[in-house]
Amino acid sequence: MYHALLTRKYLTTKIMPLLASLAVMLCTGMVIVVWSVMGGFLRHLVDSGRSLVGDVVVDWPNVGFPHYDELIRRLEARPEIEAASPAIVSYALCVLPDGRKEMVMIRGIDGASFERVTGFDRALYWKPTTEPARRDTKREDPRLNPQYAGVLNNVFEAGRTLTVPAPGGVRVPAVVPGIEVTGYSRRSPLGFYSTGFGRLSPPDAAGGERWGEVFTPKDVSLTLHCVPVDSKGNILDVVSRTFPVANEFQTGVYEVDRKTVLVEFAELQRLLKMDAAGAIDAATRPGTVGVGPDGRESFVLPNVVGVSPARATTVYVRGKGEVGNAEELKAIVTEVYTKFAVDHPDAPAAGIIGIGTWRDQNRMMIAAVEKETGLVLILFSFISVTAVFLVLAIFWSMVAEKTKDIGILRALGASRSGVAWLWIRYGLAIGVVGALGGGTLAYFVVTNINEIHEWIGQTTGTFVWDPRVYYFSEIPARFKWFDASIVVVAGVLSSGIGAFVPALRAARLDPVRALRFE
Amino acid sequence: MPLIAAANLRKTYRLGRVDVPVLRGVEISVEPGEFVAILGASGSGKSTLLHLLGALDRPDRGDPAPSIRYRDEELVGRSASTLDQYRTTQVGFVFQFYHLLPELTTLENVLLGAMIAQGRLRFTASRAEHVRHATNLLERVGLGHRLRHRPTELSGGERQRAALARALMNAPPLVLADEPTGNLDRVTGAKILDLFSEMHRQGQTIVVVTHDEATAERAQRVLRLVDGQMVKA
Repeated sequence: MYHALLTRKYLTTKIMPLLASLAVMLCTGMVIVVWSVMGGFLRHLVDSGRSLVGDVVVDWPNVGFPHYDELIRRLEARPEIEAASPAIVSYALCVLPDGRKEMVMIRGIDGASFERVTGFDRALYWKPTTEPARRDTKREDPRLNPQYAGVLNNVFEAGRTLTVPAPGGVRVPAVVPGIEVTGYSRRSPLGFYSTGFGRLSPPDAAGGERWGEVFTPKDVSLTLHCVPVDSKGNILDVVSRTFPVANEFQTGVYEVDRKTVLVEFAELQRLLKMDAAGAIDAATRPGTVGVGPDGRESFVLPNVVGVSPARATTVYVRGKGEVGNAEELKAIVTEVYTKFAVDHPDAPAAGIIGIGTWRDQNRMMIAAVEKETGLVLILFSFISVTAVFLVLAIFWSMVAEKTKDIGILRALGASRSGVAWLWIRYGLAIGVVGALGGGTLAYFVVTNINEIHEWIGQTTGTFVWDPRVYYFSEIPARFKWFDASIVVVAGVLSSGIGAFVPALRAARLDPVRALRFE
Repeated sequence: MPLIAAANLRKTYRLGRVDVPVLRGVEISVEPGEFVAILGASGSGKSTLLHLLGALDRPDRGDPAPSIRYRDEELVGRSASTLDQYRTTQVGFVFQFYHLLPELTTLENVLLGAMIAQGRLRFTASRAEHVRHATNLLERVGLGHRLRHRPTELSGGERQRAALARALMNAPPLVLADEPTGNLDRVTGAKILDLFSEMHRQGQTIVVVTHDEATAERAQRVLRLVDGQMVKA
């Protein structure tokens, strides 16, 4: 009973335990904030990565596989699957209007089904919006300007369909590059993109160049040079095609936004010669020379014996409900594909085709961030060990200060273990106060981290989180109660550990010496 | 049968490289209800003797073996927990410098002994009874109006009276007082001694150590401690 009374009195009447609690609070809060920010960062990366691949991906790169539309029908017939969408993934040399050449990943997508699988519309950047970026207090984001709403709506629609209107009322195929591909759209320090001033043509023979204000979806066309591969894996001649830009997309992952160009699926299929075509008799392949009825030699026309079905390299699949069950979804997709492959011997066997979750697809990136998170947590935990020593140092001096009290308690019959428990309990109480305070502080900081960052930035003129560097307009913090609970418990235990040695010292004090202590 | 009897008590302290013998084979016997004063000069070992009788310290081993018998029980060589229990229930200490805990109120200081003796559950179960008893004790020593005051808000005499109430909280058969008036002026000291006399009249066994002849005179029996040995007064 005296433990509780003295713990309460010592806690409320002394400045030292308050300092110890403060140290525990700051260390606990710091670790929770770091964990929350890194966790939010990871979550943001994963979400961004998912935004272009869905939950599960069936992948047979370069060559592609036939009957994908039937596979999609079979997949969508399963109750666990929300939608599936075909795609072609390949690589191309992308030539920009000013002559720059970039190696990019090209993805042929079907706008409507791709939207159902990935929520692609959200990633399209150029569209009217009403919510300014946090730092854009003056609403300078051009997308906020009602004057541009009509243009932006058209561009948004163009992005969704990957087509742009052409003379004659028709729409022609277009591309949607990642927002960092062309370099014309400039990211403002306030966190939004705007038109940029750029070179729109390479130098001509006279050295002349055309420069101007560039709004990428209206002013830019991209020329893609790609290498088709036939169904047998043979490399065909390079094909080139120039596409207008319909819109740009932003996932928030720099590597994706910098190196990916989306193309209308059917158009890319044609370009890469993956569309349906007549299958010819091998004996009459083009170039075969025969003798005609007139006895003269001539080239024999290929003998069409069937149809070579259209191919896709990839099918993206989205499950119903939460994505936490991606592994289960992968098993279902594998099961469906296995039956599909049995029915279609010309498709890759189930054992060799790639079927992976969005996490598998982004394994390297996620693993890197997870390791960084772990490393940062370990480093900060080491720093937080200082709290243990701080509590130890404070308790050591408090035991010295309270030596006489210990003697009095012993004279009144308190046992050595009772005295030790008094100090350990006291340390735990400091830990509870400090760790709960740290948890509360961290919750406040994490849930208001962008406002706090904004306030510090405006007060000091220094913004630590620069969206031009991190490619997120806001700090992606995420408070997780479970993680915070672990840190709080660790904070309490650390304080108990810090109090342990001084508690032993207190218990071992000779009561007579303690009473005589001045 | 004496309430407490000690024989062959020796105690040597080490000061640096020098052994300083403080008690050299002390013998003492106190009957139940006795008020005994141990008179001695500063450094004569009287506080050490009181600590040994109160089991705050252990006597040196030697031949003949030291002995402290409380009622019919030998204390020398007993376990720490037995001695803790002995201090909690059988002995009440009063110190020269009061030794009240500064963070606690007067009432809480007095209750502290009961908290240690009873443990959390038993104390909580009969908390009201303990508070009533502690209040009665404080009223008995004239501090009924100072229950919620901290020691720093009390005068020296009031602190010593609070310490006396604390010593009596668990109704110990034996009260050991170490220079109870040593830090008080004569008038205040006399009032404290009046309280001791009153307790003695009510049957309390008291052992007081003091260097003050006047204080010793208030006792029923006076023993002198000279150079670590007991001599007849």
